[in-house]
Amino acid sequence: MRFALAVWLGRVAGWVSRLTGRGGSSLPGLVARRIDPQVFIRLSSHLPQGVILLTGTNGKTTTAAVASHLLRASGLKVIHNRTGANLILGLTATLLQASRFRLMPQGDLALLETDEATMPKASQESRPRAIVVTNFFRDQLDRYGELSTTVNFVRRGIESLADQGWLILNADDPQVAYLGENHPRVFYYGADLSAYASSPGGYDVADARFCPRCASPLHYRRQYYAHIGDYECPQCHFRRPVPDLLLVDWQGGASYPLRIDFRGEQFAVPNRLPGLYNAYNVMAAISLALLYDVTLAEISEGLEEFRPAFGRMEAVSIQDRLVWMALVKNPVGFNQVLETIQQDPHPDKNMLLIINDHYADGQDVSWLWDVDFETWLKSHPAGKFWASGIRAQDMALRLQYAGVDPDSITVIEKPSDALDDLLTKTAVGQVTYITPTYTALLEVRQYLTAKGYTKHFREG
Amino acid sequence: MELTLAHLYPQHMNLYGDRGNVLALQYRAVHRGWGFHVVDVDLGDAVDWKTVDLIFMGGGEDTHQARIYEDFLRRGPELQALLDEGVPMLAVCGAYQLLGHHYRTADGAVLQGLGYLDITTEAGPSRAIGDVVCETTLPVTPMTLVGFENHGGRTFLGPEGTPLGTVRVGKGNNGTDGSEGAVKNHTLGTYLHGSLLPKNPQVTDLLLQWAANRQTGGPTPLPPLDSTREMAAHDVIVKRSKIRHV
Repeated sequence: MRFALAVWLGRVAGWVSRLTGRGGSSLPGLVARRIDPQVFIRLSSHLPQGVILLTGTNGKTTTAAVASHLLRASGLKVIHNRTGANLILGLTATLLQASRFRLMPQGDLALLETDEATMPKASQESRPRAIVVTNFFRDQLDRYGELSTTVNFVRRGIESLADQGWLILNADDPQVAYLGENHPRVFYYGADLSAYASSPGGYDVADARFCPRCASPLHYRRQYYAHIGDYECPQCHFRRPVPDLLLVDWQGGASYPLRIDFRGEQFAVPNRLPGLYNAYNVMAAISLALLYDVTLAEISEGLEEFRPAFGRMEAVSIQDRLVWMALVKNPVGFNQVLETIQQDPHPDKNMLLIINDHYADGQDVSWLWDVDFETWLKSHPAGKFWASGIRAQDMALRLQYAGVDPDSITVIEKPSDALDDLLTKTAVGQVTYITPTYTALLEVRQYLTAKGYTKHFREG
Repeated sequence: MELTLAHLYPQHMNLYGDRGNVLALQYRAVHRGWGFHVVDVDLGDAVDWKTVDLIFMGGGEDTHQARIYEDFLRRGPELQALLDEGVPMLAVCGAYQLLGHHYRTADGAVLQGLGYLDITTEAGPSRAIGDVVCETTLPVTPMTLVGFENHGGRTFLGPEGTPLGTVRVGKGNNGTDGSEGAVKNHTLGTYLHGSLLPKNPQVTDLLLQWAANRQTGGPTPLPPLDSTREMAAHDVIVKRSKIRHV
């Protein structure tokens, strides 16, 4: 009775909140959990194929979007949370809103993108059948202090994995791979890219340079970016686990297929997402799909149709100008976006960097100084720069110190004004990359909706 | 003018954009027509200290800090001699703590520091995280310093300790006595990152001035350099803290 009341009042709270234009991603969860603290436990235990939690620093949204697309392509009914609703209230709201008129969620399984710090609680309550971990990078240290805190949250989450549950882990991230040590059911994905040259001599923040088991410096046979690669500890011989799913060829760009080795069998799948980091996201999603018995043919077909999540390296055409949008939130992610921009052969590339410092963005902007603009600029052709957002001045200064001619940087704090200015000062046919932090991305979306450009967008 | 900066443990002690401080010193030296060289000093590296004009060291995660701890203490006497001689050093967060007498961890263990600055640090009940604005005792204009703090340690000045500044926004050393950082000779210890130097060009210039004076053996003119962009970033924090420059 208490449970039914919690579900219905939670839903009512959601309707009211949406009608009054407040989005309502966490309010239903708050209301329902107040009435019945067990509500999330009950809802998740009702799903025939259970709950999958997906966590990690970068790539959660894209991986979840690709994975739920693939699972759906195989006929499964997948419940999937909205971008940003990845704390316990948002997860609860997702399940209780997964049916309009019945008490229980209507779906075979729930794939929930989960904030790292929410992992212990989310896992304890949902007893997930699978946990996917993408990577660990320094990110928003103003929230949790240090990276090891974040890793421990996820470790605690794994302790509540269901009996017979699986871990899907990035073998190429030492701290992620180490989570699987001594675990009986781990599916590893990774890459063997002999032809891939990581930026030599560049500045890179590698947070896991040291062995997660014995703390000695790791030796890398191949290092693709940050601390992602094929590593071994010369001291205790902890090494990159043999991946079950291995990326063997990646050419960059958004139209080259990925060549993949699945336990000895090779196949190619279409890929619409630029950037090596996105290839890793796709690999994580395919791993999950394979674990749920999605066939290779269904995976291939699903990837052909897939379109990026909102603002995750997504292209739109605005007044005949090609505009790419890529969320940035930490140095490794930003470096990967810069590398992807560098791979675009277009001769005339403009940039609009929008940096906010609300809680959801990270209140500390010092991470901008860990982004390797210096190396990137060496191969960046001339183009205009706009710096915007609450911390536009910090961004402009960062660019200036990296060597960008101060005269080619325009500072306009209000993102909508910066976008207006950009559209008047760039020519048709030019390419612009917009790199917003999280709340800035929402502002850009609002602007594009108001101007009627959002036809192409969908919620990630 | 040719300056050489020793960057201590850039691999281990680089948690919160610490590299921005090195880039700021480099930018404001190079744009004055000076040469600027950065020497990275890692575990066990031999250093020709005679060639060093400036020293920088940042903060790191506890596990990383533990790895450099012994190497750092072993360099203690050499380093202390340089600091006594007036070589300017900027030490942020973990490095600042290591320049003090000791650090007492949450479980009561005591880690000895270099003992150069008269400060002691103990683990606090929670982390101090957020914007900081303080008024510095350094001979610079403006006297306002801005930055971001994120530290679990609470630092207390001893009788010989001089604070770097007085906190107007944020917690600073310990959140109780209003002090932030410590200064001795030309060594600055602070909890401020953000990064500190890019947004506080007056401090960057002071460190460069000290280094240049020491190298030439007398007052050395610092060629003028525009600080418009730097001060614009500085003012964002000052303005939203609703306080005025001093």
